[in-house]
Amino acid sequence: MGTILQLVSGTRPAMMVPSGPAHRPASDRSAVRVDGLGKDFRHHWTRRVKTAVEAVSFVVPEGGAFGLLGPNGAGKTTTLRMLLGLLPATRGHARLLGQPAGTPESRVDVGFLPENPYFYDHLSGLEFLEYSGELAGLGRAAACAQARSLIERVGLGPSANVRLRKYSKGMLQRAGLAHALMGRPRLLFLDEPMTGLDPIGRHEVSELMRELKKDGVTVVFSSHILHDVETLCDRVAILRAGRLLAEGTMDDLLARGESGAEIVVVPRGTLALPPEFIGATMEATGGRVRIALADGGRASALVSWLVAHGHEVQALVPRRRSLEDLFMEMFQGAHNVGGEPERDADATPRVRKAGR
Amino acid sequence: MNAIFVVARGTFREAVRDRVLFLVLIFGGAVLVLSRVISPIALGEGPRITVDLGLSALGLIGIAIVVLVGTQLVHKEIERRTIHIVLSRPIGRGQYLVGKWAGLAATMATAVAAMTVILMAVGVSVRGPSIVGPLIQAGFMIACANVVLAALAVLFSSLSTPVLSVLYTLGLYATGFWTNDLRSFAAQIPGFAGEALRVASYVVPNLEIFNLRSQVAHGEGTTLLHLALAVGYAATYTAAALSLAVVAFERRELK
Repeated sequence: MGTILQLVSGTRPAMMVPSGPAHRPASDRSAVRVDGLGKDFRHHWTRRVKTAVEAVSFVVPEGGAFGLLGPNGAGKTTTLRMLLGLLPATRGHARLLGQPAGTPESRVDVGFLPENPYFYDHLSGLEFLEYSGELAGLGRAAACAQARSLIERVGLGPSANVRLRKYSKGMLQRAGLAHALMGRPRLLFLDEPMTGLDPIGRHEVSELMRELKKDGVTVVFSSHILHDVETLCDRVAILRAGRLLAEGTMDDLLARGESGAEIVVVPRGTLALPPEFIGATMEATGGRVRIALADGGRASALVSWLVAHGHEVQALVPRRRSLEDLFMEMFQGAHNVGGEPERDADATPRVRKAGR
Repeated sequence: MNAIFVVARGTFREAVRDRVLFLVLIFGGAVLVLSRVISPIALGEGPRITVDLGLSALGLIGIAIVVLVGTQLVHKEIERRTIHIVLSRPIGRGQYLVGKWAGLAATMATAVAAMTVILMAVGVSVRGPSIVGPLIQAGFMIACANVVLAALAVLFSSLSTPVLSVLYTLGLYATGFWTNDLRSFAAQIPGFAGEALRVASYVVPNLEIFNLRSQVAHGEGTTLLHLALAVGYAATYTAAALSLAVVAFERRELK
């Protein structure tokens, strides 16, 4: 199977605006540079201001996948919409591929899949993609060719001429992905790309994203599904209530804190651990005992002790901290350190009265 | 320019596949044909009434399309967030809005042109071939008036809800045929109220300039100068309305 960039044919006509690495400083290898970006919404009548995003800063290097994590209401979608110019930022600024975010020029090489995408009911999947391609700056013939190859690539070939209003949620998600890929973007923003997909669909999208990464496309995606982010992303930013809690490479973030180990033992008689392993937790299932150690460095000492006392050690499994562990620790930490009561994640964060 | 054309074509394609438009056209066609039916019973005024009624139906079809399609054109895209799909591409908001207007105007113009052809067939059967020229002029002027109203519908649709947009557009459509009376009325009211009414009479589109119904019903056309002035007025008013729409829409938050 060829790569995505090989699959999608056609060339982009010369645009009015300069774009691409040739017009950027050599030192700037970032696909996205966000500096103190924030958004307040003001109620039309009461003039109350709701802060959706405080002032986030992060950098997405070119190539690879970047995950925006956070619960509902964390500010992920608002951040993406500011980057695409759909919402004007209240403060801060950002650049996409070297161009100031929000301008048409910054979107020349950008693809976007919105959350729960809606499309034009009266267009077929193929017509919609052709439309999308022409909006991306492709000529008519190139847009048609690319639309045909992409609709096959996302598994909608048999439904290419069916009107979008007859598509299921999963099919719409696939059509949205194909739309985001029209015009061969170098930077992709995917807002909850796995939403509405069945396990097979999710697997296919994951594979697609891996192929895109291989082709050098920068993928920025937001998700609640931590497993997807952990397996696909090189870097992540974690948002909570409009604030950036952490940002960095996956390896750096997961290396923080201790990594544990799990030992599976078939005990000979009663198993009572010596006092130095008092913190270990034990769980007996079907004649076996699973011993979980918070400090993996002490696993070999415990294995030696178990063997010396006649117990049969069946497995020693190092336990790397998962993104879910990190996520939960951070949210627990933010709750405890701040001393604030936990707000409903869906509720918009802080509310303050603004002057007129 | 290409982006405007792409958005316009998409809007046109979406609009012509809408069942509402189809129903409007069937209704309009039926009225035009029925106007021929009443011709023999109108005591000698049949040909005049047939053309008059036909042109009235043509005008109503145009405004019906502008109101039914145009007033929810942008608002629906914002509500359903299909606008995110379009504006995440390298096109400006102004290009998008002008493209939407162009698509709407093309839809309306196509429908008016089709109806004018039907009316010409009906008109020739009651007045002979001499009515073709005046009817083409009248159809063209109706299209020009609705191009202006389409720009206003896009302006309202980009700023307000569909219900309010319908009220605003129909309100301007109704007052647009009474701007001269409005000015006479304003002259009789002293003070600020009269002045405000006078200014309003110039802000409201003067749709009477596009109205050829009475003279075409009598088999007469209009001058080239009148046509040119009407086109110039339509172009100026449309440009002003669209400019206002673009300025306002540039600042709009698309949540």
